[in-house]
Amino acid sequence: MSASAITVRLSLRSLRAHKRRLAGTFLSILLGVSFLTGTMVLGDTLRANFDTLFADANAGTDVVVRSADVLDSPGTAGGVRAPVDSALAERLRAAPGVAAAEPSVQGAGQLVGADGKPIGGQGPPTLAGNWLTDGRLNPYRLAEGRAPAAPGEVVVNRGAAKTGGLHLGSTTVLRTPDPVPVTVVGIATFGASADGMGPSTFTAMTFADAEHYLTPKGAGQASSIQVRAAGGVSQQELVARIVPQLPAGVQAITGTAATRESTQLLSGRFLSMFTTLLLVFAGIALLVATFTIHNTFAIVVAQRSRENALLRALGAVRGQVLGATLAEALTVGALASLGGLLGGIGVAAGLKALFSALGFALPTGGMVISAAAVVLPLLVGTLVAVGSALLPAVRAGRTAPLAALRDTGVDRAAEGRSGTVRVLLGGLLVAAGVPVAVLGATDGPSVLLTAGGALAVLAGVVVLGPVAAAFAVRTLGAPLPRLRGVSGTLARRNAARNPRCTAATASALMIGVAVVTLFTVFGASIKATLDDTVRKSFAGDLAVTTSSFGAGGSGISPKVADALAQLPDVRQTVGLGRGVARIDGHGRVLDVTDPARLAGIVDLGRVDGSLDALGTDGLAVSRSEAEQHGWRLGQSVTVGFADGASGPFTVRALYEGGGLAGDYLITRQAWAPHRGQDADTMVAVGLRSGVSLTAGKAAVQKALAPFGNPQVQDRDEYAASAASGVDMMLSVVYALLALAVLIALLGIANTLTLAVYERTRELGLLRAVGQTRAQLRGIVRWESVLVAAFGTVGGLGLGAFLGWALVKASDSAGTGSFAIPPEQLAVVLAAGLLAGAVAGLRPAGRAARLDVLRAIATE
Amino acid sequence: MTTLDVVRGTAARVADAVKIYGVGGTEVRALDHVTVEFPAGRFTAIMGPSGSGKSTLMHCAAGLDTLTAGTAWIGDTELGSLSDRRLTLLRRERIGFVFQAFNLVPTLTVRENITLPLDLAGAAPDQAWLAALIDVVGLGDRLHHRPSELSGGQQQRVAVARALAGRPQVVFADEPTGNLDSRSGGEVLGLLRRAVDEMGQAVVMVTHDPNAAGYADEALFLADGRLVDRMERPTAGLVLDRMKAFERGRS
Ligand SMILES: Nc1ncnc2c1ncn2[C@@H]1O[C@H](COP(=O)(O)OP(=O)(O)OP(=O)(O)O)[C@@H](O)[C@H]1O
Ligand SMILES: [Mg+2]
Repeated sequence: MSASAITVRLSLRSLRAHKRRLAGTFLSILLGVSFLTGTMVLGDTLRANFDTLFADANAGTDVVVRSADVLDSPGTAGGVRAPVDSALAERLRAAPGVAAAEPSVQGAGQLVGADGKPIGGQGPPTLAGNWLTDGRLNPYRLAEGRAPAAPGEVVVNRGAAKTGGLHLGSTTVLRTPDPVPVTVVGIATFGASADGMGPSTFTAMTFADAEHYLTPKGAGQASSIQVRAAGGVSQQELVARIVPQLPAGVQAITGTAATRESTQLLSGRFLSMFTTLLLVFAGIALLVATFTIHNTFAIVVAQRSRENALLRALGAVRGQVLGATLAEALTVGALASLGGLLGGIGVAAGLKALFSALGFALPTGGMVISAAAVVLPLLVGTLVAVGSALLPAVRAGRTAPLAALRDTGVDRAAEGRSGTVRVLLGGLLVAAGVPVAVLGATDGPSVLLTAGGALAVLAGVVVLGPVAAAFAVRTLGAPLPRLRGVSGTLARRNAARNPRCTAATASALMIGVAVVTLFTVFGASIKATLDDTVRKSFAGDLAVTTSSFGAGGSGISPKVADALAQLPDVRQTVGLGRGVARIDGHGRVLDVTDPARLAGIVDLGRVDGSLDALGTDGLAVSRSEAEQHGWRLGQSVTVGFADGASGPFTVRALYEGGGLAGDYLITRQAWAPHRGQDADTMVAVGLRSGVSLTAGKAAVQKALAPFGNPQVQDRDEYAASAASGVDMMLSVVYALLALAVLIALLGIANTLTLAVYERTRELGLLRAVGQTRAQLRGIVRWESVLVAAFGTVGGLGLGAFLGWALVKASDSAGTGSFAIPPEQLAVVLAAGLLAGAVAGLRPAGRAARLDVLRAIATE
Repeated sequence: MTTLDVVRGTAARVADAVKIYGVGGTEVRALDHVTVEFPAGRFTAIMGPSGSGKSTLMHCAAGLDTLTAGTAWIGDTELGSLSDRRLTLLRRERIGFVFQAFNLVPTLTVRENITLPLDLAGAAPDQAWLAALIDVVGLGDRLHHRPSELSGGQQQRVAVARALAGRPQVVFADEPTGNLDSRSGGEVLGLLRRAVDEMGQAVVMVTHDPNAAGYADEALFLADGRLVDRMERPTAGLVLDRMKAFERGRS
């Protein structure tokens, strides 16, 4: 037998003998790897499914002709392009090699469902356009009915029809955002079978209708021209033939390239964000698992020290003992990862089904499992196991052979030394991390600096853990002896007995709780900021809005502001619209409004200069933005619009930023010549004095009926609805963090179970001298609660600090608020303690079931 | 010393050995200038009252612990100059051990425990020798059992077989019968005796028990870390008398 064979045999044997001790390790790797695999497989699958979907749907489009200039700005996916002359289609149709060419108009249009409520608009786009008559150019296929032929006739995608309860022959309203009465004459699928393009909605009209309602000029403009090649002409050839015929500023790209653009837009933005988010949480779960695994092996190695010492005495070199422990970790890691891989594929399939069931129209298609999605999780799971076991394995290799012969116990000297190193290193990390995080938070502010500091603090706290553990557990457990007598005293002493082990166990929970706290604080702060914004800058009584999140809604008809102003109950209204423009070369979001009507309902704070004098060549800029660019009143900046026009504008007013209005204000008159669809995102309403809020709201609601029923909210509702998105995000984050916390609790249960094994003799002795089973159970359970308390309290403190630092660091304008929600954090604390008690149940039961005689006889 | 010993040489020895535990006020001088040889092919018993340094002497002679001063040798290899790794290799190739308790790896079978030092070295066991050994210790029918399924005496016999399996230069045994009743103890001691007589094995045994010392060729007496006496061909009675004399001398 070779020397390494005995190493493997020893590790496999002890694995079999102690498999229950490693169950926690196995489970935590399995869960972490499942999560990781699930995320990767789901991402791959969705990406591939979307790719095929787009490729299928656009298969008939060979060339897309569109404006070459794209205006990108933060927050507009894909950018904004100027329209092209729709007559171009006519000319291209005559070109050699062209089988079909059609102008395509694309805009926003929100359908109102049978119940009077708008369909969609909670994020995914609500699209409208013309129905392309060439069947192969049109990515949509009629599933029922016919194409629109007369004014007011529309085809809607099947997904929208289902959600809105629309059928052939239904009459409803399309908000463009001016309400357009429409009749559904057809229902279409995207490509051959999908309900829609992802979860978006699409309403197709006749070309004349689309031009009329969706383009600012009402005729002669299209978003692009879709071209199909005649047989035998390749896409590239066709592009080459078309290009010479195009006017300046218009480009032609192949259909393949256009498809790639739209899939990349989806996978690049939405899917990557989605998978990155999930990967981050998989990472947190695995990080937490690292502690559990490390702890398990540290205890197992300690328990096996006599055996290892015997091996050393009989001539096993360090490498062999180390190797046996690592081989054990490798086996557990590889097996658990394999299990996790299978579980993860199941998780991905389940999640996809769940999302579909929840109404996200995901494309159909088989599961896609890439090589990376198999290899990476396997590798990561195995490495996590081996890496976590490395230190304990090295310790096992260092076992002195004499330990087999003498009950040498713990080597206090070595611990003292490493204790000093620990305090120094941990202290250094914390001492360096805190100021860096604070500096990043207050001066700068810089998220990167803060994140670096936060990581250092986290590492420092983990390193300091064992030093703090004994003290913390003794402090936290101070009331226990009074509450629980001898059991309490013993529980408290047991928890402080092996500080390194207690600390590692608690660290896992601490990280989980810290991340939970961080997000809770962050979310509360965002809510407070939103609340503050509304309170500070919204001086009106009612707000008319479309959906609060995403660019999904089509906006509010610009006629609403005027219509509401006519009501006898209403004192004043003002509409705020949104546009993008290039300001001194950078894409920026503008607020389009009537500055003269802002006073009294939208508060811009202290205004320098005059809002009334903006005219058609003036801008108002927030003070912080102006400072950043070094602009003063009277400064001239170049504004480039999406339609290609560009000219000098003068900064005529400066105002307090961070309110309802963004960083730039422009008048409707200045915006009108360059705009696309005209829409407001919000209309602020001030009621006449003496009009009650309820009466005013009812009147406004009634007046809005012809406009497709946009939402009317009073100030509090408006603030709350702005915050409701945050709550939704938070609940998703909590759900994702649940796994990490579960793994941490598994770790506590696991450590306690191992401790019960270790103390078998001692527990037997306690039982022999008359301790009841219930008392024994109490000891273990309270120890569990103490460890959990240490982790939870530490995590709360750490998370609150890191939350504060991150909130401050990410608030470059300095206008955000910081909030600590005491109720939510109290819930976290209570949940942590309760979970600790639950985690202690099984080990406590095991301790209580000990057979007294056998326990005492245990060597 | 007989001519045979001169021919066979020395299995192990320590010269002017000093072992001090602790420092300053807590200093304990466990070995105080001890010089002793363990000849090849002989059974040597180390006796003495509790705390006299017997285990310490054995550990230092076997390379499990290091001396504060003086030298320790296995054959003609000086241990003080060896690295931890060389010491480990020397232990598994040239020394056999029998401890008082916890001799066997609980997860390995009887047979695997016996061949453990050979397996650790990656060496192939001599099958005929192994068969003979197993036959001598009388555990042929228990080879695939786990240690926990054996009695204490049987476990010690397995430990003896393991110590002999690699035909080491010397076997060190620290109170191998300390946990056994007189019958089981007799079996283990008989085994060690046969190893000396039939295989020419050198055996060094630490013991409290005059009866155990009776199996040895020579008994050494330690007191307070010093070698105070030695006795050729000890018998239980003679050893007992000698120990009583010490007790009297001390009090
Ligand atoms: N690791 C140690 N640290 C400090 N002192 C020690 C250590 N090991 C042994 N001693 C001391 O050295 C002396 C000799 O111990 P040793 O174990 O060699 O005695 P012994 O003769 O084997 O006794 P026993 O018959 O009880 O096994 C004792 O006084 C003991 O207390
Ligand atoms: Mg001893």
